[in-house]
Amino acid sequence: MEAALLQEISEKLQRGKAKDVAALVTQALEQNISPETILNEGLVCGMNVIGDKFRQNEVFVPEVLVAARAMNAGLKILKPALSGAGIEPLGTAVICTVKGDMHDIGKNLVKMMIEGQGIACIDLGVDVDPQVIVDTVRDNDVQLVCLSALLTTTMYGQKEVIDALCTAGLRDKVRVMVGGAPITQEFADEIGADCYTLDAASAAREAKRLIAEMRA
Amino acid sequence: MSMTASERFARYLSGKEIDRMPIIEWAPWWHLTLGRWHAEGLPAECASVDDIQGYFGLDRCLQTGVSYFTPASPTVIPGSGIGCMEDEDDWERIRPTLFPDVRTLIPKEHFDWLRATHERGDTLHFFTVEGFFWYPRVLFGIENHLYSFYDYPELYKEMCEDYSDWLVELFDYVFSQFHFDFMSFAEDMSYNSGPMIGEACFDEFLAPFYRKVIPVIHKHGIPVFIDSDGDITMAVDWYAKVGADGMFPLERQAGVDVSTYLDKQPDMAFLGHFDKMCMKFGEAAMRAEFERILPSLQRGKVIASVDHQTPPDVSIVNYKIYVSLLQEYAARVTHKGGNITPCPVFAEQERSQA
Repeated sequence: MEAALLQEISEKLQRGKAKDVAALVTQALEQNISPETILNEGLVCGMNVIGDKFRQNEVFVPEVLVAARAMNAGLKILKPALSGAGIEPLGTAVICTVKGDMHDIGKNLVKMMIEGQGIACIDLGVDVDPQVIVDTVRDNDVQLVCLSALLTTTMYGQKEVIDALCTAGLRDKVRVMVGGAPITQEFADEIGADCYTLDAASAAREAKRLIAEMRA
Repeated sequence: MSMTASERFARYLSGKEIDRMPIIEWAPWWHLTLGRWHAEGLPAECASVDDIQGYFGLDRCLQTGVSYFTPASPTVIPGSGIGCMEDEDDWERIRPTLFPDVRTLIPKEHFDWLRATHERGDTLHFFTVEGFFWYPRVLFGIENHLYSFYDYPELYKEMCEDYSDWLVELFDYVFSQFHFDFMSFAEDMSYNSGPMIGEACFDEFLAPFYRKVIPVIHKHGIPVFIDSDGDITMAVDWYAKVGADGMFPLERQAGVDVSTYLDKQPDMAFLGHFDKMCMKFGEAAMRAEFERILPSLQRGKVIASVDHQTPPDVSIVNYKIYVSLLQEYAARVTHKGGNITPCPVFAEQERSQA
C-alpha cells in the first residue's frame, strides 16, 4: 500500500501533474507515512528518474520544468511535516547568473534539479555582482556556489566570483560549480572551479556529491 | 567560370560546379568586436554591415527582416526573455494588434535598393522571420513558453495557425516583388546539450506549420534555412523532414560535427561551423580548423563561415588572416566532378523541369 502510493507520487511527478502530486502527498501524510520517506521515495525518486531521462535525451526542458513544478507542489505540502520531524535539507547552495549576463533559463533549470535532490537553494537571480555572492556565502550556512554564464563575453565573470571568494577568505568554505553554453572543463580548470557539468541533471547529481563532501 | 554571387550560391546549393565557395558572413558583428576593431584601425566610416563586408573583402550577404508587431502591440524588450502574454485572455487582447498588412512592411525604396544591389552581382540577400519556436517564445517569454506546451497546447497551436496564415500572405507578396537568395527562420531552439524540446513536441507544435509555409517559399524557388544555435544534431533530422533546405550556424563549441550531418542528411546545406573560439590564436590554429572542415566543404553543400559571431577577443589582424584563409580554402571548393545532391527546393525545380 505504502510502496504503491509512493510509486504513484513518483509517476505523477514525472508527468508533471502538480495537483495530483499535492493530493497524493497529503494522502501519504494522512496514512502516517514518514515525511522523509515521502520526500526520498516519492518526490526525489521521481526527480531522479526525470534527471536520468533528461541526460539521455528521453525527456526535454518542458518535461523537466513541469516535473519540477510538481515537485514543488508536493514539497509545499510536505515542508511543515519535514520541519516538524526535524528533517533538514541536505545542504544549501547559492545559485546565480554572473555579472553582465541576463540569461536565466539554464540557471533556473539547474536550481530546480538541485532542489529536486533535497538541497535548499538561495537564488540570487541574474547579473549578480561578485560582492553580493561573497556576502551571501559569508552570511549563510552555504556549502555550494553555482555560477551560470551563457556568453563568451561574460564567462570570465565566473573567475571574478572565485577571485572575490579567495580575497574574502571564503574560498575554502564552499565548493564552486560552473556551467553554461560557452563553459568547458578546460575553462573550469583554468579559473579554479571545483566542478563543471554539461547539463542540469548532472549538475544536480554533482551538487549532492559536493555538499556531502563539504559536510563530511 | 564567371558568375554572380546569386548564381554561385544557387549552383552551390544545387550541387553543381562553381568557381569557388561563397565567402560570406551571415551575421552582423558584435558591437564589442567592432569597438575593438575600430580602435585597431577599422575606418570610422565603416559602420554598416555592407561597408564592413566590403572592407574585409567578403562577398556581401545582407539581411532583410520584418516583424509581426505593429505600433499598437505591447512592448517586448528584445533579449529580456520577458513576454507580453500568459493565457487565452491575453491572446484575445493582443491578437488584434499583431500581423500588419504585408504590403506596408517593406518600403518601395528598400525593394529598389534590393534590386540595385542584386544587379551589381556581388551581393546575396536573405529574408528572415521568426520560426514557430521563437515567435511564441517572444510572446510568452522564455519560461512560460516552455510551460505552454503543457499548460496551453491549444493556444500555442492557435497562435501558430494565425502566424502561419500571415506568413503565407507575406511570402507570396514579398517574393513576388524580389527574389531573395535564401530565407531563414530564427529559432534558437537548441543549447549546448541538444534541443530544448523533443521530437514528439516538435511534431505536434512546430512541424504542421513548417509543412504549411515551406512549400509556399519553395514555390518561389527560394531555399529555406533554419537558424538555431547550440547542438542541432537531433533537430537537423526534424527540420529535414518538414522540408528545410539547410541549417546554420553549427556551433563547434556545442559539439556539432557537420560531417555526420552530411552522412545522414545529404540533401541539406549547412552554413557556418568554423570554430570562432580558435580565431584568437592566430593563423596556425585557424588553418588547422579549415583543414578539419575542408573534406566536408568538398563533399557537401557546406559553406564555411564563423559559427555565429566573431568574439571580441579576436584582433582585426587575426580577422584579416581569417578572411584570407577563407578565400584560400574557398578556392579549393569547386564541386567539380562531385556527386552532390541538390537541396530540396532545387531538386523540386529539376523534377518539375524534367
